[in-house]
Amino acid sequence: MRREGPIILAGMAGLVSIISCFFGAPGFKVVKDELDQWFLIATNFMVLVGLINLTMIHWKRVSQKRAGWGYSVALLVAAYFFIVHGLVRGSVGDVQYKWMYNTFFAPMSGTMFSLLAFYIASAAYRAFRIRTAEATLLLVSAVLVMIGRVPIGSAIWDKFPSIASWIMDYPNNAGIRGIQLGATVGGMATALRILTGIERGHLGSDV
Amino acid sequence: MVFAKDMIATFWFVLAFSIASLTVISRARAGKNIPQISRVPGLDALDEAIGRATEMGRPVHFSPGIGDLSNAQTLAAFPLIGHVATQCARYDTQIIVTNRTPTVQPVTEEVVRQAYVAEGKLDRYSPDSVRFYSSEQFAYASACVGMMLRERPAANIMIGGFWAESLIIAETGSQIGAIQIAGTANTHQIPFFVAACDYCLLGEEMFAASAYLSKNPILMGALVAQDWAKMAMALVIAAGALVATFAPKATWLSDLLKK
Repeated sequence: MRREGPIILAGMAGLVSIISCFFGAPGFKVVKDELDQWFLIATNFMVLVGLINLTMIHWKRVSQKRAGWGYSVALLVAAYFFIVHGLVRGSVGDVQYKWMYNTFFAPMSGTMFSLLAFYIASAAYRAFRIRTAEATLLLVSAVLVMIGRVPIGSAIWDKFPSIASWIMDYPNNAGIRGIQLGATVGGMATALRILTGIERGHLGSDV
Repeated sequence: MVFAKDMIATFWFVLAFSIASLTVISRARAGKNIPQISRVPGLDALDEAIGRATEMGRPVHFSPGIGDLSNAQTLAAFPLIGHVATQCARYDTQIIVTNRTPTVQPVTEEVVRQAYVAEGKLDRYSPDSVRFYSSEQFAYASACVGMMLRERPAANIMIGGFWAESLIIAETGSQIGAIQIAGTANTHQIPFFVAACDYCLLGEEMFAASAYLSKNPILMGALVAQDWAKMAMALVIAAGALVATFAPKATWLSDLLKK
């Protein structure tokens, strides 16, 4: 029953969601909305589970003075300071909270995001360096798209922007849609397998 | 029963797909012959990656992406985590599963723990193996980068829903010389994975992974129905192309599909 219980519950919840998605019966919609609320509550409760895990791992690192334990101290202090401050003074409307978020968190997050530019360059360099027909095709199409998307491209030859648009709109779009169709069907099949209890990987069973 | 707006065609497609899937699954259950599926190099390489980590005495990192439990890609990653954790438990190799979504954390903990239980090595299971880093996308990415630079996993497996953090993690994996297997259905991230990783699972291959690795005929049966659905979609696309080419003013096909 330890395994069957969650499967039956998931199957029933999934069935209600599917029926309310396809049909306009108000009774199912009410149940689905209620289940959505339960999901939200469970999700928020899980943040606590995540926080406990985070605290345990970093506390162990600090207490054992492992390499880089100072970073763990910084993380724990920052995390709990934000939590306590948010609980005492509120978060969304509080000026101090907003200041801390904008001053500390947003720039650090932005810095990580900006690393992408350099990583794209290094990954592209490696991909283009491989001497295969596919890599050559990738290189030629990437160069054409890049030239076609910058002002100097049209200054060199006015057809570059049209070539870039053609590559993006037809071969690229066809590839993307092929992958998306396959993934959509794959997602449906996964959902069906989970709802009928055929797939139990999320319960810790063998694949 | 009244259909919701614009859902009639989708309903019939989903119903036909479900019936086809359940029919093939029941055939498989009855022991009838199910067609073989083609090889997926990325999935074949999983055991090779774990073996390499075992030989080098370094950990295996698994990221299920940053999607939550309502994302099919995250659900598709769980059986793979189970498989990788089982192999790691078998060969006494450390596994590190990193999570961004709080709801995914307890599920991955249970999947990894059960893998150790199944191998009879619960004493080897460390709660440190499954880590929640942050619910913020780039905080999670930076935590993964830090972990990879400090603990230097020999294998980096990223399978699930990934967004802009995909290349940050994959490039770090490349810098530390990890063998990298990645998979996602997010089409904007696939080029990053193709460029940065050794093996890449494209969209549906990720969803076929549990059947492929288990060789379970019932799960394999479900894949057959997936192929039938794709063939049906290809036929509709071909019909659409023909209608658009030879009768550009005809709208009956698009009207039918929009219903």
